[in-house]
Parts: sequence; C-alpha cells; structure tokens
Amino acid sequence: MAQQRVIVVGGGLAGLAASIRVAESGIAVDLFSLVPVKRSHSVCAQGGINACNEVARQQGYSEYEHFDETIYGGDFLADQHPVLEMANWAPKIIDLLDRMGVPFNRTSEGYRDLRLFGGSLFKRTHFAGATTGQQLIYALDEQVRRLESEGKVTKYESWEFLWPVLSDGPDGRRCVGIVAQDLRTMQIRAFRADAVVMATGGAGLVYGKSTNSVICTGAALSRCYQAGAAYANPEMIQVHPTAVPGADKLRLMSESARGEGGRVWVPRRKGDSRPARQIPEAERLYFLEEKYPKYGNIVPRDIATREIFDICVNQGMGVDGQNQVYLDLTHKDPEYLTRKLGGILEIYEKFVGVDPRHEPMRIFPGVHYSMGGLWTSFTAGNYNPAKPQPAHKSGSVPACDAEIGRGLLLGAPNNMQTSIPGLYAFGEVNFAFHGANRLGANALLSCIFDGLFSGVSVANYLANGAPSMAPAEGLPQAEFDAVVAAETSKQKSMLDSVSGADASDETNPYIIGREMGVEMTAACTVVREESRLRQCHTKIGELRSRQRRMALGDAATWTNQALSYARAVGDMLTVAEAMVAGAIARKESRGAHYRADYPERDDSNFLKTTYATFDPASGAARIEFREVDCSLVLPRARTYGRVDKEEAKKPETAAAGV
Amino acid sequence: MTASANGSHKPAHTKPAAKPGRKVRFKVKRCDGPGKISRWETFEVPIEPGSNVISCLQWIAAHPVTTEGVRTTPVVWDANCLEEVCGACTMVINGKVRQSCSALIDAYAPNPGDEITLEPMTKFPVIRDLWVDRSRAFKNLTRVRAWVPIDGTYNLGAGPRERPNDQAVRYVLSTCMTCGCCMEACPQFNIEPDEAAWDTSFAGAHAISQARLFNMHGTGAQLKGERLDALMGPGGITDCGNAQNCVKVCPKEIPLTESIAAVGRSATIHALAKWFTGP
Amino acid sequence: MAETTGFLERHHFLLRRLHSLSGVAPIGVFLLFHLTTNASIVWGRLGGGGAPGAVKTFQHEVNFIHSLPALLLIEIFGLWLPILFHSVLGIIYAVSGRPNVGHYPYPGNRRYTLQRLSGYVGVLFIFYHVATLRWHWTFLIPGGTEWTAEYAASTMGAVLRGGAAGMTIAGLLVSAFYLLGVSLLVFHLANGLWTAAITWGLTISAQAQRRWGQVCFVIGGLLMLGAWSAVIGFATINHTVARGAEEGVHAPEPTPVLTPGMAEAGTLRDEH
Repeated sequence: MAQQRVIVVGGGLAGLAASIRVAESGIAVDLFSLVPVKRSHSVCAQGGINACNEVARQQGYSEYEHFDETIYGGDFLADQHPVLEMANWAPKIIDLLDRMGVPFNRTSEGYRDLRLFGGSLFKRTHFAGATTGQQLIYALDEQVRRLESEGKVTKYESWEFLWPVLSDGPDGRRCVGIVAQDLRTMQIRAFRADAVVMATGGAGLVYGKSTNSVICTGAALSRCYQAGAAYANPEMIQVHPTAVPGADKLRLMSESARGEGGRVWVPRRKGDSRPARQIPEAERLYFLEEKYPKYGNIVPRDIATREIFDICVNQGMGVDGQNQVYLDLTHKDPEYLTRKLGGILEIYEKFVGVDPRHEPMRIFPGVHYSMGGLWTSFTAGNYNPAKPQPAHKSGSVPACDAEIGRGLLLGAPNNMQTSIPGLYAFGEVNFAFHGANRLGANALLSCIFDGLFSGVSVANYLANGAPSMAPAEGLPQAEFDAVVAAETSKQKSMLDSVSGADASDETNPYIIGREMGVEMTAACTVVREESRLRQCHTKIGELRSRQRRMALGDAATWTNQALSYARAVGDMLTVAEAMVAGAIARKESRGAHYRADYPERDDSNFLKTTYATFDPASGAARIEFREVDCSLVLPRARTYGRVDKEEAKKPETAAAGV
Repeated sequence: MTASANGSHKPAHTKPAAKPGRKVRFKVKRCDGPGKISRWETFEVPIEPGSNVISCLQWIAAHPVTTEGVRTTPVVWDANCLEEVCGACTMVINGKVRQSCSALIDAYAPNPGDEITLEPMTKFPVIRDLWVDRSRAFKNLTRVRAWVPIDGTYNLGAGPRERPNDQAVRYVLSTCMTCGCCMEACPQFNIEPDEAAWDTSFAGAHAISQARLFNMHGTGAQLKGERLDALMGPGGITDCGNAQNCVKVCPKEIPLTESIAAVGRSATIHALAKWFTGP
Repeated sequence: MAETTGFLERHHFLLRRLHSLSGVAPIGVFLLFHLTTNASIVWGRLGGGGAPGAVKTFQHEVNFIHSLPALLLIEIFGLWLPILFHSVLGIIYAVSGRPNVGHYPYPGNRRYTLQRLSGYVGVLFIFYHVATLRWHWTFLIPGGTEWTAEYAASTMGAVLRGGAAGMTIAGLLVSAFYLLGVSLLVFHLANGLWTAAITWGLTISAQAQRRWGQVCFVIGGLLMLGAWSAVIGFATINHTVARGAEEGVHAPEPTPVLTPGMAEAGTLRDEH
C-alpha cells in the first residue's frame, strides 16, 4: 500500500502538535503554513497555560475543578465531554512540554512556578516569562524540525491553503487533499492526503484592528465553510479587556498583568485631568474591585471587558474622556515586575514609549479570540453520571478522576472531525472547548490537547476509515485538477481586474477590508443590538457587491501579496456575514455575546450551539441551533460572586454582567 | 500610544514632540523578483500618532502612488505578529536592521519632510521588494540540532528539575525568534546563494546561541557532542570575528556574545577531551 | 588549490585555534620582548648613563640575543614560520569578512575592522622590517644604509632617518611607516589578546569580557608607549654619541676584522 499521508494546514501550536503526533505514528505529514511555522500567531500568547498541579491539588484543586471552571467560564455553551478530557490531560501536557525543554519559570527548589489567572482562585497557570506562547511553539517547532530532519514531516512554508479537495465515495463525501498556492512563485497545485487537519487559528482580522497577527484572516476557515463544513458559534468572539490601541493593531496586555496584581481604575471625578500619580487613592474608582469583591480585578474576560466598556462608553468616565482606563502596576516592586512580566511590560514600553513600572498603562478592550470555529464531533468517554452535577466545591472530592478516556474516547476517528469526514479542525479554528467565552491560559492548552489527543484519531481514521479502503493516492487525478482549475480561474479573474487607470476607494480591496473591520468592530463586539446588527449585515452585503467589482493594484505573477489579500477579503466577508447572522439569531446574552436588547441568558431557548452552514445560492449563512451536551455539569448562573448595589433584586440573572 | 493618540493632553512621557498630522517621505528599495534590478520609489505618508513603519506600509498598500504621482504596486513585505515576537518583519531601516513593527515614526521622523529609507536585508536572497528568504537561518538550527531529543510524546512524567538561575539564562536564550538581525549585522555572515554551501558557511550568532541553550538542558545535553562537532567545522564557532554587532542589534537583547564565548569554552574542552580520551 | 581547501576544512578547528594561539605565543610573547628591548633605548637612560648608557644597555641586549646558540633556527621556527602561518591564515580568514562599520559604527565593530586592517598593514610592515634589517635588503632603505647588530642603535637611527645625519624626507616616511606599523601591530596584539580570551572561552560574561578588555587596554597602552619610545628614540639618536657608546661596548674585546670597516662606513655616512 502506498504511504499514507496527512496534511496539516497551519503551523501554530495545534498544527505542530498534530504534526508531531501523526508523524510519530508513522504517517507522512505535509505541513502547510503561510509563514515559517516559528512565526505563527501562537507566539503572541503571553500569560501561560492552565493545568492542575501538585500544589493546587493539595490546596483542594483538581482537574475536575479546572473542567468545571472552564465550563462555567464558557457560560455552559461548550459540549462538556471534550472539556473534561482536555482538563484531565492538562498536567500531562505540561509534563511533556517540560520534557521538550520549555523554560517554565521555576521555584527556588526547581519545580515549575505557578501564577494566578482570571477565572480561578487557585494558582494553576504555568508560565515561561511573559512569552509562554512563544516558548511553547518554539518547543514544538524544534520537535518538528527534528522530525523534518528525519524525513517524517515535509514543510510547505509560505504556502496558502486555497480549498479542500472533496471526493464522493461509496460512503459519502470526504476530504482527500487540498489545493494550495506558493506565495512566492504563485504556483497553484493540488496535494493528496488521506486526511486534512485544519489548524488555522482565529479570524480576528475580520475586525480590522485586533490583537491577532496579520495572517489571522479566517480565510482558511471560510473556505472550508464555503466548501460545506459547518461553522459553529460564529458570533462568539472574545474581546480582550486589556489591549493597547495602536495605529496598525491592538497589542495585547496579558491578563497576567491583572493576575500579578494589576488594578484597573479611573478617576472618580469625571474629567479629572491630573496625571495618574497625582490622584490620591481615595479619588480613584477601582470599579472591578468594588463590584466583584471576591474576584476583584481577575474577573473573567467578558465581564472585565463589559465593565471597562461601560465605564468609558456609557458613563463617560474614561481617562481624559477617551476610551481608556488605567491598568496600574506601579504599586508593585519594579524588579518583581520585570522578573514576572518583563516581556509584556517591554512591549508596552516599546510600542507606547512609557514605562508601565512607573506610570499606569492605558488600555481598552480589543477583539482577541474566536471561540467559534469549524463545528466538530466527538465520541464521549466513560464518565457519564446519572444526572448532571451541581457546581463543584473546591476541596470536595471530584465527581470524576483524571484517567484518560473519561471525557472522550481516545482514538475515536470522529474526535474533532468537522462535518466533512477526513477534514479535522484543531486549535482555535475548532469551536469545541471554550463555549461562549474562553478562560485565560486555556487557549494554549486546547491547541496542544487537540494536536496530541485528536492526532491519534486522525491516525485511526487512516487505519480503519475510508482511507484504508480507498487511499487518496489512488483517486482519479481529475478530481484534483478540477479544484486547481477553479482556483486558477478565480485568480485569473482577479488579475484581470487590474486596470491601473481607474483606482477608486470603492473597489480598492484594502479599503473594503478596512471598512469591514470598522463596521464589525462598531456593531458586533462588546455590546450588540438587533437593529445595529441588521445595519451591519446590510453593510456587509454592500461591501460584498463592491468586493465582486474589486480592482486589484498589482498584476504580478510573482509574489503577489495584493492578490492574496484581496482573495482573503472575499472570504473574510463570508465569515463576517456568518458572525453577524449568528449574533442576530442568538436573542440572549451569554459569555462574550452580550445583547443590549436581550440582556439575560436564556437557557430554555439558547443553551444551544449555533450551527451555521453556507448557502451557496445566497452566499449567506443558514443558522440552526443544536443541543449542547450538558450531561456532566448542571448549568448555573455565571456571576463570579458579583455584588451589585441592587443585588437583592436579581440574584440569579447576573450571568451576562452589566 | 493611547496617551498621544488623542492629542488632547500632554503625553505622559517626555520625548521630542513630534508634529501631528505631518507627512513623512518613505524611500523604498524595490525589486520585482530574484535577478531583477532594484529601484527606489518614494511615497509621502500622512502620519497619525503611534504610527510605525508597518502602519505606513499598510497605508502605501491602500494608496500605491509615488511622490511623482505615478501609480505603482503595493510594496511587498513580510510581517505577522506586529508585536516583535514573531521576527517576520525584519528589514533595513535607515541603514540599520531591525523589526519594522517596533520602528515608531515619531522616533525616526519627528519633523515634517523627514525621510525614512526601507531596504530588504542584504544577507538573504530577495523574494520581492522587502521580503527576503531566510530559510538558511532555519537550516542552521537543524545544523546545530537545536532540539531536545525526547522519547516521543507519550506521558512519561515531568522533565528534569532546573534551578531558577539556569532557567533565567535559558529563557532569555530561548526568546530568539530567528529574525535575522544578528546575521544581517554580522560582517562574517555573508549572503550565500548556493544552498549546498550553507552547512559550511558561517552559522551565525543565533545558531551558536541555540546550541548553548540546548547544551544547557538536562536532556538536550545528550546531543552536546554532535552540536559542538557541527560548530567546530567550517562556518562554525571559529568563524566568529568578535565584531559583536550581533548583541547590539538583537531586538531581544539576547547575550549572543556570551553564548559565543560559552560555546567557545565548550569547544575547547570538547577538543581537548576528544584528543586525550579519543572518540 | 582544491587540496588546500580540503586540508583547511579537515583541520578547520585546529588551524583556527593554532592561528589564535600563535598570535599570543610565540608571536605576542616575542613582540613583548622585542618592544621591551627596543624601548631600552629610552628607558636605558634611567640607569644613570644618559643616552650613551641607554645605547650600551641596548647593545648588551642585542649582543645577548646574538649570542644565543642556533639563532637562525630559533628565528625560523620560533618566529618566521609562526608569523608566516599567522599571516597567511589571517589573510585567508580576513578576506571572508565584509566589514560594515559604516552601517554599524559600534566600538566592537571598529575594532573588528581595525584588527583586519592592522593585520594587512602589519604583514607589510613586518616584511619590510625583516627584509631590510635582518636580510639586509638595503636597496629598500632610503640612503642605502645597513643595520648591523654590532652597532644596533646607531645604524637603526640611520635607517629611520634615511642616513646617519639629520632626518631626510625619505627618512621621515620610513619613520612614519615604522610608527604606523608598530602602532597597528600593538593594537593587533592587544585586541587579539582580548578576542583570544573569548575564542578560547576564558571570558564569558559581558562583564568578564569588559574587565579583560581593560587589562588588554593597559597592556596595549604600555606596549604602545614602548613602541613609540623605541621608534622615536632611535630616530632621534645622536649618531656620533651612539657610535661612541657602541665602540665602548665592543672595546674590551676588539674585533679587528670589523671595526675598521665599520668606522669607514660610519665616516662615509657622516659625510652625507
């Protein structure tokens, strides 16, 4: 039998972890990435990676509590079995990363140090300086480089995924390869594979300026969605509470700044224009600490985001009347800060020109993470309680131990497989783990977990599924050529649009992209409301028609970045449409999705996954809702111990914050 | 950034005040592809507070018209994270190599009419305009076996314990993003179009430093001999000329020259040990 | 050529380290003694004998060196071959670099560039120095005078001045070349000592490198002082006084064969 191959699209944490696991099982891996994999967006993750650990365990923490927190943090929108398995694997993943040489911070005795992070009262976040994502991806990059030198992985860097190749067999339609383009030579060609893993990350660029890297357009997700894969919870976009506004992007100020004691405040007196340090303690409004005495500044992201948004936009109390609040670390010892947060403080200093050890930082929420993504399935594991458990209490016996297979069946071929057989989705592009809101330092975990855990599923799919009967190698060439031809003709029509003479903003892809970002940020982020969403939907339609008439600025047939960007703009519009459609359809507030016109969580109607499928005829999303697996934990109000002034009035409805 | 972004108050930080709303002239060295002749094009870019080279290149992409009024193509350049952690957007700005995302216009060109030149790195082949092919830098990581040889990804418990001081050293070394600055500024590292010659051309400070990083790790030290052997051949540690530009231009302030000296010491010991005890 | 490349590649590390080592010893050690000896033309005055005393001290040192057994063998294997080895490899290594001090004008980079430049000029200077004085290629000396070990100081003065009498234009050039040559070589040695400590891994931390750099600076400074005093001392020496002192050194043991000839030569030169 011919050598079986797996294609991994995306060279971030999820893609690299998948490549390692699949290659280890003796299957050839072709790894595609827009950039050298070491430069993937995963490098931007700063704070750390969550896992139960010995210290926390002896204080009463457990994998089960990590699971419970994640479900609660995600406002019960995540299917619970995958999350349980992920939490159970977390300590094992930390150990593996440790073995790979990740320089985790150490205690004086040489054990891995821990820090406090949003959404938990235990120190359960492992970190390597303030560039944990960078350190993790480097460890995986190194292992992949080793596999590459052994001939087990072939890298295609600076290649863009254009379209999945689907083949209709006796058992139905499955994915048998991809069509990709070399961004230097512009060569378009097909690659066969017995399974394709999408590990292409989030879609922050749909919002123009976000904390995401410039490659995070969501175009790959969009292309799979247009080819028939379902897109789940598209409306669930996490807006990070603490970003630093910039001319080109919003730079993340890690949650670890709050975890290490950062305090969020504004002057109590509106329009107080004194420099921060001259405002006495009594005249500062620490609004998170006042409202959430238990969690204080480390409330989860969506709550912090909405509170900051509310203080600035609704109450007009932002610093200097602008959309910004102080994130203050100046009460901490500068040397301690350098040791614990050096990397992120340097970023602020470098890009703003102010030293946050001595001046409070000015921050405002920014679009950060896509909880939604390609819909994936799973096979539940062997923990199935008779009835869902109430909230887990720290220190009590966990309802379930942390053995492998409690949450998911290890190696089940459908784990993290999209609605198209043979097409998998790992990492941020997978909707599975974070529900309506992602807890800080859970993203790195979900990426690596997907790669390691579901990599086995990919291998088993190859061994026992359709590829074992009909290898991709043996399929007719015409099926692949047809997709290459379609992509080539799409490219040709774009190149033909280069006129040179007539260049108006109307048809300029960069302007269209920017307008999309501005509109999406205005209508579909922190506070959403039906009429504004509909207005945004109309605007996307208008941008779509302009995109169809787009005039490219570069006719080059060598390294044409303008072409690649313009093509992505079309795909981003498709994603934006689904996000807005999902946001309109979900008439409730849950996690990151806050509807001013429906401010309460509505479990009876919307404790459901938004399941969007692409309608080729209209180019719009068809939205359905699917039941969420809530068989392990009973949904409860998500309040994070908030103390409201009118607390007595609505004790149970605080889930969505203000 | 936010501080100066609105312009309505005094910036918290005292710096030479840059004039808002001014235009800055960009002189960009352009090249249509390998083997093509380079040319210069200039653009006038309106500056907003907090602008950096990236945001200006983005503006040029949307308005690709030169100062002479000639319509041209968007400039091609390499970028990704824009936070100086991915290493992609390295280029030569006003004659010196650095990341363009952290090159703030207010610092480079505070006055109207100031000019900023952008050129591709010279030690790597140009793909187009400001985008160069840095495959060789990554290849050199393979050359020094820059990895920990683990026994696979199955659950085998924790890695070796480590003293915090050693972690602190390794962490800094491990922040190297293979951006190419140390190579671009190194007089001993020169462009080598022939891929076959890469393994015998100077490996560069980053690769030497990575060898040190993995030699310091409990399990990584397993390959120490192989790494040193690779670095004791042509293009290895001995090709360093001690100009020490690497450490000056490293955006992550990695102590590259210390790494070079440390690997030099290891190589001395390794050579003597080999000579006396034999392979 | 191909074989040469193969040889260089096979023994890359050894050759590089020998190149580094040879610069320190024997070449560096020799330079230290050579400059100390030559500087005695100035510091020898401190012995109480004034200028003639210094000439005598210097002449005694020269005599001692020339009394060493198998001097030629020592020279060939202890000096000329190491210098040849260090120079040839040094040039091969140096041409592989592309100095960029214009773009990166850091102190370390300036030293890097100067190390190579001083190497090139140093090789020329050493060749000129040895060819004219040791191999007696007098046609390269303005005025055609000849240096002899027996009248070491006085003939050296004549070489540097372009004749036994006062300074000539050509002599000025020779003296200037000497000053330049020795200065660059002293820099080359001092900087070489600094880089050798990195190469061999003696100094690792930036602080250690800085400390050792300060030591090298002092060593270089002292050597520079010696080098300059030697060149200036010889160039400004009073020929008649020096000759007299040298005669005094040789007097207890007159050498009938040489003395008259040298006296004649001296007379002739005096007439220039």
